[in-house]
Amino acid sequence: MFGGCRMINLTIDGKQIKINKGVTILKAALDNDIYIPHLCWDHRLTPYGGCRLCMVEIKDQPRLFAACSMPAGDGMVVYTDTEQLRKVRSTVVELMLIHHPLDCPVCDKAGECQLQIMSFKYGANFSRFKGERKNAPEDTGSPMISRNTNRCVLCGKCVRVCGEHQGVGAINFIGRGFENVISPAFEETLDCEFCGQCVDACPVGALGSKPFKHRARSWVLESYDNICPYCSVGCTVTLDLREGEILRSRGISTKGINKGDLCGKGRYGLDFIYSDARLKTPMIRVDGQLKDVSWDEALKYIADGLIDIKNKKGADRIGAIGSPRCTVEDNYMLQNFMRTVIGTNNIDSSARFGFAVFNQAIEMAFGIKRLPIEMDAPLGKNVILVFESDVTSTHPVWGLKFLEAKQKGSKLIIVDSRETKLARHAHMWLKIKPGTTQVFIYGMIKLAYDEGLYIKEDAEKIENFSKLIELVQSYTPELVAKITTIDKDDFLAAASLYLTSTSRIITLTIAAAENNKGFNTIASACDLTNFLGDGPKALQSPAEYSNTFGLWQMGIAPNIKPGGEKVEKPGKTVYEMLYKKDEIDALFLMGEDPLITYPDLKTIENVISGLQLLIVQDIRLTETAKLAHVVLPASSWSEKDGTFINSMGRSQTVRKVIMEKGESLPDWQILNKLSKVMGQSLGIDNLKKLQSEVDDIRIIAGDKRLRYIAAPYVEPPVTAEYPFIMVTGNSMQHSGTLSVMSKSLTHVFSDAFIQVNTEDALKYGLVDGSYATLESIKGKTVIKIRVTDEVSPGVLFVPVHFKHVRVNELTRIAEDGTAPLALVKLTPIK
Amino acid sequence: MESDLNKMLEHYYEMDGNIISILQDMEETFGFIPEDAVNWFSHRLSIPAARFFGTATFYGQFHLTKQGKHIIKVCRGTACHVKGSQKISDDIQREFSIGVGQTTKDELFTLEHVACVGACSVAPVTLVGKEVNGKVKSSAILKKIKQLREV
Repeated sequence: MFGGCRMINLTIDGKQIKINKGVTILKAALDNDIYIPHLCWDHRLTPYGGCRLCMVEIKDQPRLFAACSMPAGDGMVVYTDTEQLRKVRSTVVELMLIHHPLDCPVCDKAGECQLQIMSFKYGANFSRFKGERKNAPEDTGSPMISRNTNRCVLCGKCVRVCGEHQGVGAINFIGRGFENVISPAFEETLDCEFCGQCVDACPVGALGSKPFKHRARSWVLESYDNICPYCSVGCTVTLDLREGEILRSRGISTKGINKGDLCGKGRYGLDFIYSDARLKTPMIRVDGQLKDVSWDEALKYIADGLIDIKNKKGADRIGAIGSPRCTVEDNYMLQNFMRTVIGTNNIDSSARFGFAVFNQAIEMAFGIKRLPIEMDAPLGKNVILVFESDVTSTHPVWGLKFLEAKQKGSKLIIVDSRETKLARHAHMWLKIKPGTTQVFIYGMIKLAYDEGLYIKEDAEKIENFSKLIELVQSYTPELVAKITTIDKDDFLAAASLYLTSTSRIITLTIAAAENNKGFNTIASACDLTNFLGDGPKALQSPAEYSNTFGLWQMGIAPNIKPGGEKVEKPGKTVYEMLYKKDEIDALFLMGEDPLITYPDLKTIENVISGLQLLIVQDIRLTETAKLAHVVLPASSWSEKDGTFINSMGRSQTVRKVIMEKGESLPDWQILNKLSKVMGQSLGIDNLKKLQSEVDDIRIIAGDKRLRYIAAPYVEPPVTAEYPFIMVTGNSMQHSGTLSVMSKSLTHVFSDAFIQVNTEDALKYGLVDGSYATLESIKGKTVIKIRVTDEVSPGVLFVPVHFKHVRVNELTRIAEDGTAPLALVKLTPIK
Repeated sequence: MESDLNKMLEHYYEMDGNIISILQDMEETFGFIPEDAVNWFSHRLSIPAARFFGTATFYGQFHLTKQGKHIIKVCRGTACHVKGSQKISDDIQREFSIGVGQTTKDELFTLEHVACVGACSVAPVTLVGKEVNGKVKSSAILKKIKQLREV
């Protein structure tokens, strides 16, 4: 940020310090291990100067300065701990304590409360002042967060972290003087996205976590760091345990890539491991019922079954599906088991619908095998263009970087049919018809070509240049406007802004849960990047889940080995294994629930029920497990050691911090045992051996040859019978089958809903909160209506993960690379 | 209401959402700050409702409940206090059955306390609308207010 600025020297408490110009005294001190007390300062926020605890003395200056807001100057001599300062701080604490209730014995913050620590350090043992104490009732009406305004010291950290950093602004200072409190607008119950950033920011016990309320004193907690199991950002969560049970998770400002930021899932969603639905023992289907058996019995049963099929019908009749939620080690072991013990390449995962598509595109376009995102990619860019992606829901902590970039002056352009959080903060929000991003991008390429906004020599050198130009020729601004339903002038304004800027990125996510972007979409984004000569890094597309990146690297795909090397005889993909009848006889599912997360449920149900042997290894009894012949209990995240590779390509260690549930075992151990029972030991006896084998994998880089993909745009069929386009995706609180297991998260959303535009609701007689029949060509379901202006007319949005609604009964797969949007109709239930 | 709000919105779109000006417009149009109007603006300007509310509760010029046709301000500054302004306020409260900051049922009168109106030489001071009444007793003030009701 201050790159290129000169360095300055100053002395703090006799220590010579060299820092960049423009840094505050507090930051300079903290970076050099000198502690200055502070309460209202946060490294993520702009200086506030409210608490006056960070006062310091500067030599030859008559008054005191607040270190958090005073920039360090060259040659400055600063004292942070003098007689005068101790007296001042003591008075500040004393003044704060006038109104503070001193209910520490019943306050969850006791022991780690900043005010308590400060008064222990500076506070007088009596107060010279007498004042009224507040006696407001605690607000416990909202899920997850309780608000006790009596304990509040009005440092404003929560207000600022919510408004400035999180981009929500659910709370504010209300009133003036003694009546000043932190409250939501019109003193209503808190109704926000429940990220809990304010709870972690609160230095006292005014904002508390409800799931943690009265569960433990802070000093009996043991803390362990771990990597969050939800999305691919890979935040470090600090888990606090009492008696071997995880009670809460926090973000610590000095740890991990997230530096204290966490989303609602990482902070409140980790209780999924204590779900009642967790599996404890292996089970075998006997007379149509799943019955508890021992490990030996279960493994013997599987071994016999697999050997039988292998001998009678061949190894190619057996398939396996890996999981982006399982560790690198688990996934490595699964492919090892399938390729070595079974002898087939029939192995795939849900990444086929998302990450595989992305990897296919980047390999074709850039000649590379992996394209990690960068945490700070949005920062310092002039223009950021986001296509049909709700980054703040799918990758919340990375999404914060977009808000930060916007605040620091980047132009944020959101092209989406939904009003996402980023859309609300954007400079331009273009309401696009779902699934037409490709047309928008081709329109941009044509514009750049016509206006000469590209480097001619470089762009022409790339293979397929004439093919691309021929393809985009027809996409005039008028046609783009017609297909995307974006106003022509808006399109031109956004496109020129992007094309004329010097530093820019495109962001889009691609995942199984999202149906508005297909291979064609990502291919066109690659083409644009190549055409403008920005290099692959200008395309930022994060992987889906915590270990999607690792899973891919471990060769959980029918055509690649660990490290990315191509296999000679590719096996069957999920398209064949799950969507075509009679392709395989046995299926080994590790940590995946295709009946909930994969599109086109009916077909899968049909194929699965025809299997001779279905083995499901999971942490809980999934919908698919209910149809299985054998169910194996796997240890969950935090119950086993391993590695996750996040979307930045960083390997991060996942630790075992609690005992495994029941008889469950880590996935890799189950597979190891199974291979032994099948009489073919893989020679892996411990995790260390396994990890060294994983470390030895050679990562293939690719030929780095640039190419235009030039995938044609396919107009989806329109029928008058199904007037709506249904877009699926994640909600802020739920991202898949894991989050719906969490008790806390289901307090916010426990039921599926479908978002309908206000105009459409009036037109079709749909009432907010009522139920309606949702029907596509594939099937139908009943769902709750939520009327909102967040979606455009003609568009419906639905989060896919609630099992009883079976939304994926309505969706379809698209092997041709187009966006598999579902056309639906909604009929109110009378 | 919608048309009033749209008129205001048009004016402020260009100004990047000036919270105080919008609140002043609301106060002028509706006589108070309606919750619906705040939410309406919050949605269109992408400014959190909490920021409107925080600002509205900070300044004395904004009201969250409907104001009466006539605003009666009793000065509670030091000089007026010494001269017995508490009694004036008490009498008004008793006579009209309202508390400080409240409005009569017929929506005619609102009673407010102000810190100092800067006319200490004529304490105790009570403002009825914009008319300043100095050196008055409560009986005279009550009479004046009652006369307003008949108009």
